[in-house]
Amino acid sequence: MASQAVAAAETAIKELPRRFGTKQVFLPKAVVAFLRPKPKQPPNLATFAVPMEFNKLDLRDYLYHAYNVEVLSVRAYIQQPPPERRGGAPQGGRWYRPKSKKFMIAELAKPFVWPEPVPESDREAFDHKIWQKIEDHKERANQRGEKPGHIPLRKDEEREYGVSREREVLKELAKEYLESGEWKGPNSGKWTEVEKELDAEKKQAA
Amino acid sequence: MAAPAMRPPLSMGGLSRIRMMASTPTAPIHPSFTQRASLSTSSVLLKRHKYVGARDNRDHSKSRGESAMRGTGTRWRLSMSDEPLPRPVPREKLPPIVTDPDHGLWEFFYNRERIVNTPEEDSKHGRAWSVEELRHKSWDDLHRLWWVCVKERNRIATANFERENQKLGFGEAEAAERDKEVLKTMRAIRHVLTERFYLWEDAVELAKKDPEVNLTGEGPAFTPKDYLEEADAVEGAADATKVPEADAATSPDPAAIPSATSTAEAPRL
Repeated sequence: MASQAVAAAETAIKELPRRFGTKQVFLPKAVVAFLRPKPKQPPNLATFAVPMEFNKLDLRDYLYHAYNVEVLSVRAYIQQPPPERRGGAPQGGRWYRPKSKKFMIAELAKPFVWPEPVPESDREAFDHKIWQKIEDHKERANQRGEKPGHIPLRKDEEREYGVSREREVLKELAKEYLESGEWKGPNSGKWTEVEKELDAEKKQAA
Repeated sequence: MAAPAMRPPLSMGGLSRIRMMASTPTAPIHPSFTQRASLSTSSVLLKRHKYVGARDNRDHSKSRGESAMRGTGTRWRLSMSDEPLPRPVPREKLPPIVTDPDHGLWEFFYNRERIVNTPEEDSKHGRAWSVEELRHKSWDDLHRLWWVCVKERNRIATANFERENQKLGFGEAEAAERDKEVLKTMRAIRHVLTERFYLWEDAVELAKKDPEVNLTGEGPAFTPKDYLEEADAVEGAADATKVPEADAATSPDPAAIPSATSTAEAPRL
């Protein structure tokens, strides 16, 4: 059944009228990337990121000659990114418009299904955990940059980053001091309790 | 005016006679044989099919469910015929998609399970071809190597998009290194070809001045004057006449991309 369908598709493809450009390009420099389809995209549509100079006919001829892929029709669109600031910093830097990107969706004669994406558990080879941590940190920094006047409360900071080591140590020392009445933290031997001595002098005078 | 005159006279007596004929029962007729519907063959318009989940329209209002404020249309798509419209099939119940295992688009991936190379795999590559190495290669070899490089760059670009879209993690720097090395090879190929072009230009200039070389295209291109070279030249000329024919027969179309079998030996990267 399946092989019959494939054979039928192939015979249908062979009967297609083929017309290609006459200009021969021997050493093309174009880089064409094949993009994963959107979740509801049908399997006969393939998306490609192409150079700006490419046109629909270029992609059709390129795919046929270089990859032996038959294309029935091509749709093209250009993504214009929003303006950004130089240096990537939210404040400062001149405004500029990043270069637009061109994408093309080819209608394939033979459908193509992408393999499943790599699950989260199998991304150790890419150091996914530490990468994710850095990305989250960047995201938070960006959010802070958007509202420079907003200084987060300590409890909010601790909710995001956890309690700092210094505060934990200080808490332990304070607890110990309250229990024993003696300071054992830094500079422990150098301190003298002024009030205590004053009291002693008063007692002596009396 | 003429038509009523032409009509046969129909008196009250005649009418009563017809009624008498119809009403006088000659034999009892079974109720199932009596005609209940009209003889029209067109479908009944009023008795419409009801869609699954359609609301009961109690007040028989035609514009029930339409909102002028929200610009909504009728709730149910209505067709002229009473045949039920096809309902969308959920994605899970669709038949499996038949694909070609040798689809050309697989060439955009490093492997079929995981499209993206890990940084470790990406960094396992050799150096680029040097200009000196490529000087000894033929045009066909260089052309094949160029296409190997082009496809490798496409694979790298595809992996870059996939890594970014799926948020896989690190590996961008390793991919960039790999890409740089491929670019170096491509640059070397262009360097060699440019050199060859300059050499050819110089050779043409020299040949114009050389009395032994015939550039008109008629007769032998090279006729050595020295008698010692003559014997060799006769053999060489005989060879020279044969070789181009054989070349024309076997050499591939320059526009076509070299086959994958020969590219397997060529790549270094």
